[in-house]
Formats: sequence, C-alpha cells, structure tokens
Amino acid sequence: MIVNRRETLIGRVLLILLMAVTVIPFVSLFVTALHPAGTYPSGLSWPDHPQWGNFADAFRAANMGKLLLSSILIVLGVVPVSLLLGTMAGFAFGHLRVPGHRIGFVLFLLGLTLPFEGIITPLYYQIRDMGLLNTRWAIILPLIGLFMPFSVVWMRAHFVTMPGDLSEAARIDGAGTWQLFWRVHVPLAMPALSSLAILLFLWTWNQFLLAIVLVDDPAKRTMAGALGAFQGQWGTDIPLLCAGALLILVPTLAVFLVFQRRFVAALLQGSIKG
Amino acid sequence: MGHGPLTSRFVRAALASSAVVAVAACSAPGGSSGTDNANASAAPVTSATCGTEPITLKGYFETGFPLPKELSTEFSKQFPNVKFDIREDQFAVITQNAPRVLADDPPDLMRLPQVSELVKDGLLKNLDGYAQVFGWDKWPASQLEQMRVSSTGERGDGPLYAMGLNFSMTGVFYNKKLAAQAGMTSPPATLAEFDTVLQKAKDAGITPINQFNGGATGGLAFPLQNLMSVYGEPGPINEWIYQKSGATIDTPSNLKAVQHLEKWIKAGYLAPDINSQDYATMMSRFIGGKNLFIFDGDWESGNLDKQMAGNVGFFLMPPLESGGKRAAMSAPLTYGISSKAKNADCAAFFLNWVAIDQKAREIAVKVGGSHPMGPADAYMPPVQQGTVTASTLAAGADIAKDNGAMDFIANATGAIYAKSWTPQLQKLAAGQQTPDALLESVQKDYESQVKK
Amino acid sequence: MRKRAWLGWLFAVPALVMYATFVLRPLLLTVQYSFYDWNGIGASTWVGLGNYRRLFTDSELFASILHAFELILFFSLIPVLLGLFVAATIRGIAQSRLATVARTVLFLPQVIPLVAAGIMWSWLLSSTGLANELLSAVGLDSLTRAWLGDFGTALPAVGVIGAWVLVGLCTLLLLAGMSKIDPALYEAARLDGAGPVREFASITLPSLRQEIGVCVTVTVIAALASFDIVYIATQGGPGNSTMVPGLEIYYLAFSEREVGMASALAVALVVLVLACVLPVQRLTRDGSR
Repeated sequence: MIVNRRETLIGRVLLILLMAVTVIPFVSLFVTALHPAGTYPSGLSWPDHPQWGNFADAFRAANMGKLLLSSILIVLGVVPVSLLLGTMAGFAFGHLRVPGHRIGFVLFLLGLTLPFEGIITPLYYQIRDMGLLNTRWAIILPLIGLFMPFSVVWMRAHFVTMPGDLSEAARIDGAGTWQLFWRVHVPLAMPALSSLAILLFLWTWNQFLLAIVLVDDPAKRTMAGALGAFQGQWGTDIPLLCAGALLILVPTLAVFLVFQRRFVAALLQGSIKG
Repeated sequence: MGHGPLTSRFVRAALASSAVVAVAACSAPGGSSGTDNANASAAPVTSATCGTEPITLKGYFETGFPLPKELSTEFSKQFPNVKFDIREDQFAVITQNAPRVLADDPPDLMRLPQVSELVKDGLLKNLDGYAQVFGWDKWPASQLEQMRVSSTGERGDGPLYAMGLNFSMTGVFYNKKLAAQAGMTSPPATLAEFDTVLQKAKDAGITPINQFNGGATGGLAFPLQNLMSVYGEPGPINEWIYQKSGATIDTPSNLKAVQHLEKWIKAGYLAPDINSQDYATMMSRFIGGKNLFIFDGDWESGNLDKQMAGNVGFFLMPPLESGGKRAAMSAPLTYGISSKAKNADCAAFFLNWVAIDQKAREIAVKVGGSHPMGPADAYMPPVQQGTVTASTLAAGADIAKDNGAMDFIANATGAIYAKSWTPQLQKLAAGQQTPDALLESVQKDYESQVKK
Repeated sequence: MRKRAWLGWLFAVPALVMYATFVLRPLLLTVQYSFYDWNGIGASTWVGLGNYRRLFTDSELFASILHAFELILFFSLIPVLLGLFVAATIRGIAQSRLATVARTVLFLPQVIPLVAAGIMWSWLLSSTGLANELLSAVGLDSLTRAWLGDFGTALPAVGVIGAWVLVGLCTLLLLAGMSKIDPALYEAARLDGAGPVREFASITLPSLRQEIGVCVTVTVIAALASFDIVYIATQGGPGNSTMVPGLEIYYLAFSEREVGMASALAVALVVLVLACVLPVQRLTRDGSR
C-alpha cells in the first residue's frame, strides 16, 4: 500500500493529540489526589509534598474492602445467570427456531433501546413490595431482566450462524435437546459467551441509577453507585474525593488492561450488534 | 415422547403466567399501601428510655457537620448499651431522599428538611407524648414553634413533629484583616454603610462577598432573606414560610430586597463564579482569606474560631436606619423520628438528653457553635470572649429582644428550594431574571405546591 | 416433531420470565401510572392525559427534552464527525505500534463509570481547573469562567464530557470498519487521480454506512437517556439549564413525589428514543442486509 509520508505524519500527530486529550483527565485526577486533604489545588500543579497517604485515607473512608466485595457479589449474581438464560433463549430462537420464534425475538429486540429511566419508578415500588429494597437482590434481579434483550439478541446472532447439520449428527447419536445444547453448542459458543461476559461485567460494575435508587447503603451497591455516595459524603474534600475516585477505578482498569484485547473486541462487536 | 403434551402444556402455562405478571396490577396505584397511622394523635407515653439491652439507633445525618456524630459518641459513652449506625449525605440529597427513606427504610433519628409534607403523609412521629413526659412543653415556646404542624399542613401551631439539636442563628461573617484593608473599623450600623463598605472593598481589589450558589444549592437565599427583613417585617415572611392561607412572598418590600440584591450583583460585589460554587468551596475560600464577607450561620462558629482564630468577626444584617429593629434567620437544627422507627423511645430519650445533659450542651456550643435547646434557665457553658462563637451567641439575644427570629424561606415547602429559589437565584446571579419576575415565579410555584 | 418443536420454548422461558417481571411489567406500569396523579404514598387520582398535557405546556419540563436534543450535537455529531476525520487520517497507520497503543488508550473512557468521568471533568472545568489554566496560559484570560456554573456554557460543558467518553469508541468502530474496505478500491482511486477528499466521499463514507449507523444509534441513546454525568456534574443547574429528562424523572419520582408526571415523562423518553433510533437503523441497515 502506498501512503505518502505527510499523511502518515499528520495521522500520528492527530492520534497522539487525541490520546493526550483522553488521558489528561486521569492525570489531573491523580495529581489532585496527591495534594493535602482539604485544600483546593489548581489545575495540573504537582504538589510540593505529595500526600500518598491520601489513598490510604480514602481507602479507609470509602470502606473500599467492603465495596469491592459488594460489587463482586453483585457481578457474581448477575453475570452467570444472564449468560445462561441469554444463551438458552438465543439457542431456542436462533437454532431450534421454535414456532413463533420471530415474535419472541422481536419482543426482546424492543427492549434493546429501552432507557433504564423509563422503568425506574414502578421498579422501585415493585422491589419495595417484594421486600428487597436495600439488598443486593434489588440490583441483581432487575439487572438480569434488563440485560436479557442484549444477551438474547447477541447469542441468537451467534446461533444463527451455526450449521444445522451439526445438530442433526448429534441427534442421530441419540442426544436429547438439552444434551445437544450443553455438550455441543455451549462449548462452541465460548468466544461469543466470553465477549458477552466481559460486557455484562462492565455494565454491572458501572451501573449507577439502579444503585442509587434501590439501595441506600453504599456497602451494598455497585462500584459506580458507591462512588456516587462517596462523592456525597466527601465531595467537600477535593483531594480525598479524587483519591477515592481513582481507587474505585483501579479494579476496572486492571481488569481492562489484563484482558484488553478481548475487551476492545467485545466492545466493538457489542456496539455493532447492539 | 410420551410426556410431550404435558410439557407443552407446562410451557403454555408458563408463558401465560408470565403474560399475567406483565399485565397484573390493573388497579390504581397506591390503593393498598396507604399509611393508616397518618396524623394519628400521639399515643400516651409514660416513660421513654433506651433500656439496658444492647440497642442500635439508625441515624441519617448531614455530611460536613460534626455535631450529631460527636453527640452520639458522647451518648454511647454515657449509655454503653446504645450504638449508632450512621449514614451521611449532603443536605440536598437528604432533601431528595427524605420521603422515600422515611417510608421504606425508616431511621430512628434523621436530619430533616422541610417537614410539612412529610407530616401530611404520616411519615414523622408525633412527639407530643414525649414532650409531655420530658417537659419540653415548658421550654420557651418559640424554640419549638417551627416544628409544630397543624392538620392542614400549616406550621407554627399544632402537634410537635421534630426536635432541634440546637438553635442556630445566621448573619454576616467577615475577615478582620481584609475588613481593615477596606477601611471597615466597626460593623456597619445601617444598610447604606454596608453598601459603602462593599464598594470600598471592591475599590481596594478585594472580593467583597462570596456565596455558594451552584448545583442544587441557591445560597443567595441567605443575603436575600436578610435584605427582606431589612425592608420588611419578619412576621409576613414567617407566615409565608408556615403556609398560612393567603400568604405571599410577592410583596413590595420583598421586591425592594431582590432589587437591592440585584444591585449588588450588577455592582460586582459578589464573586463572578458563585453559580459554580458549592458550600464547601465557599468555606474554603473564606478561610483562605479570598474574600471579605459570607452570609452564613453560627454552625460554622466553632470551625471558624479554630481555623481563623482572631481573624473572623460576625454581625447581624444592619437595619435601614441606625438603631432599627433587626431580624435574622434562626432555626432549630431539626431532627425527627420516622413514624415507623423501631427505637422511637430511645431516639426521643437521646433528643431530650441533648437538651438537658451538661456535657451535651457543652458539645452543642463548642462543636455546633449555636445555642442549645432546653429550658431558659438551663446550664450555659462558658464561652471565651472575643471569639466569633461569643458574638453569634450574643446576636441570638439581640434577635430575641427585637422578636426578629425567622425560619428560612427555603423551608416553606419541600420542593421550593430545589425547584424555585435555587434556579431563580442562579438566573438572577447570571442576569437572566428580573426581580419582579423572580418573586412572581416563586409565588406561583409555592401556590401549586401548597395546594397539593 | 411438532411437539418437540414446542418443547424448545422451555429454553426461552427463564429469560422471558425475568424479562417480563423486571422490564415488561414495570414498563406497562409506567404507562399506567402516567394517567394518574399519585404521590407514591397515599391514594391516586385518575387524570387521563393531564400529565401529558403538562409535558407540553410546562416550559421547564419541555425544556428538559430540548436539552436532550442539544446534547445529541455533542454526544453524537461531534464524536461521529471527529471519529470519521481521525479514522480516515490514521487509516494509513492502522497497523502501526502507535495505533495498537491508541486502541487501548482511546477505550479508557468506555471502561470507567460515567460517574467517574463526571467527577474528573467537574474538577477540570471548575473555575480553578485545568481548562481555565490552559486558557490563561495562552492569554485568553477573558474566556475563563466556571464552565459548569455559567448559563451559556453549562450544557455544552456537559456535552463535552459526553463527547470525551464517546469519541474513542466511534473512532475505533469506524477504523475497524475501514479496515474491511478493499485496499484495491483506494489504489484504483489514486490511479484515477482522486484526492483524499474525493477518496473519502466516494469510497470511505459509503462503505462505512453500517458503522456510522451504529455510532449514531449508540450515541443518540446515550444523549437522550443521559443521567449519570449530569447528576454528578451539575444536578441540572444552574437554573435548570442542564436539566435532562432522565434527571427530571428521578427528581419528579423520588423527591417531588409526582409519580404520575415522572411516568409520563418516562413514556415520552422511551418513545423519543425509539423515534430517533428506528429511522437511523432503517436508513443504515437496508443496504447491507
């Protein structure tokens, strides 16, 4: 491919510029977090005496250990079940093509664009009447429901591409539908499943609205919801707030950097299919 | 496939039942969950204590104010069987959450925003029974007046629904060093003198006033209400706040007050970025010596005496003419008990302890900076002369003499602050609203909210 | 065979039940509530279309919808245009090391909670923040202001936060789309003497139809249903200038306790999102499927 030099150079400069704009807010957050607690530092100034202790203070103030545990419990409650239910329904609609599968599919398709704000009010009263307010179930159960449209559509897209012969062969070997699903199709669906798992993890971890409406105790919320509460409680102390915000970002950033290839691929595919 | 028909019937049944779930609840919302105990008269109370068994009081307090926490710590020291489980939020968030928290996650003790609608919905415990047992009804009546709510939602009269941790006083704090630079030797005696000081400060390159007015918190309501009491009487303002029928905020004297505030804004007496400042930013700038005046309350006195020792002063808003009557916003730091609270007796015992225990009263003054609640002849902790705490406490006496105590205009209804005062005052600060339209609009919102 | 076919529904039932219980039922209830005046605690009164009428006559409620549309400019238009421009410019170096690093970096805003983005940017855009420091450094002191507290700039400032979150996603999506275009097309165009602009208009743009559709869909939903960023950065202020439907629903339902009105606005929001997204899908997907 012939690409002239000038173009490459402009491309590089532009890319570096865009990366800089992306990163600067993180840097500013970090630098601010190092200033003495209770001060109002300005812009990007490096403090005379970096206060690394702020991170320890924020860790204690935010009760970070408990928050991590809570978010992990919520993720464990949401992601595996959503994967299983989504895969089963996707299998029914995409591969088994059950009678009326189009209607079922369209029903889920409709939920794909639904903003959470659209149902948050009745959801509150429903969760209250179920006696689940202020428990992690108040986030877990609705999130499973809310993730169904995307999970089903995503997995159906995978199963549509699976050749029918595969199942015929298995059936001749005497496999029932469940065995066909569990032994043959789930293993084959692993790439699609792992991408979906990454997306669901991210969306659960970062869920804010459900957390602030349905759970008052920050120690029973998701990370994003807890960050909201942290801002409410420590918003009066900017360096401490920044330190806390950074700490809350660390787990996601770590997971992202470890699995970055999968992440990027999943997010790109996720948007295309979504 | 012998079991086929059965399974397919099961499938259809499951599908049908999920459809039923989906369209269930055809009856009107809220029919069954009504609160039966709404406005029930207080059950007679014979005694209220915390007992001796381990007990945990669930508290919902305001962030940034150490007083309730210090009080609860001291209380646990004196009554070791009582522990506190405390949640904190900023006041604006508490205001948003109040109805939902009181109804569905009832705390034993909660920092309360405006109470009349909470009372109408039966969310707060009627404290009359406790008042009798503890003798609160023998305290100066003015202390409890703001927390009484009649059956129609008017305040000032009727059963008691909340209690104060102390009794706060508001006015103008100033930085003494900057005041000297601006040529202010003693607190202004008239509004005109105050205006002169503001101009002199500006000429000297000092930011005259800084006030929080950003986000959901319209802090310009502080100077505005002070100006209202300069141009008018506190009586009609209180009637409006108490939701007395026919009361209006849109009066000629209040218009003069808004116009005066607008004059200050246009003259550049206020920091240019007040619309982006929250309360904490204002405090940190004032403590850092960035401006001459703030309009605030004595809950900061203890804090300011510590952080600006010797460099901070306080005065009440000066009247139009020298020696005229003065008025100020002065309100109990209200805490209430949810009507569904599990440990109401213990919470009431705590509230009484705050008012009568010597150690608690010391904390109320030293940490809270304000006058404690309680009988007129109760123990008064000594205060060091020359501190701002001493001047705010003295100002309280002046206001009592002039009969000039007012509740806060932001407390008229549950939504009036967030929905009306804050956006309107932010517009005024940005030059996007005129004084007469501001009052007209607030009054319109008020009427539609009171009607409900 | 027919029976076994019906049996397949068993696989779909669990998903359907969760979806029906926690999405469809609340959705129908939202519609039902929207016809009532209810404070969430006491009894409710039927008001028919009253809440919807108020939606169009109450200037404040209607303004929140207009704000959401204004946010589309920042959440959608800027990321898509900027993304197209950047992707086209760096297409030549898409395989380089730098581009690999860029893929990771540009994704960072997608990974963090929007709440965190709101906190970071509130700080950057405050009166003593970095944005003003940069302006002062280049001698533009007159422009400095508290960006999120100024009537003229608060909504655009919120928009900038959204643009920051979404521009990386759009760039990478479009770049991925470009990598699927046959290089021979470009070679041919160059031989014909086509400049970069014509190349872009006649090859790149048409081939990216689907990716552009995706970017627009995702970002438009993000704009119309914005909540987290506004809740953290401005709470709707100053003076309602950044009030958006999502936040207004939250305030109405949980602090002002106008559950009926909140529900009517929620229904309007759901309909609005569909009305904006379906045509985009139709326009961009027909050709390719």
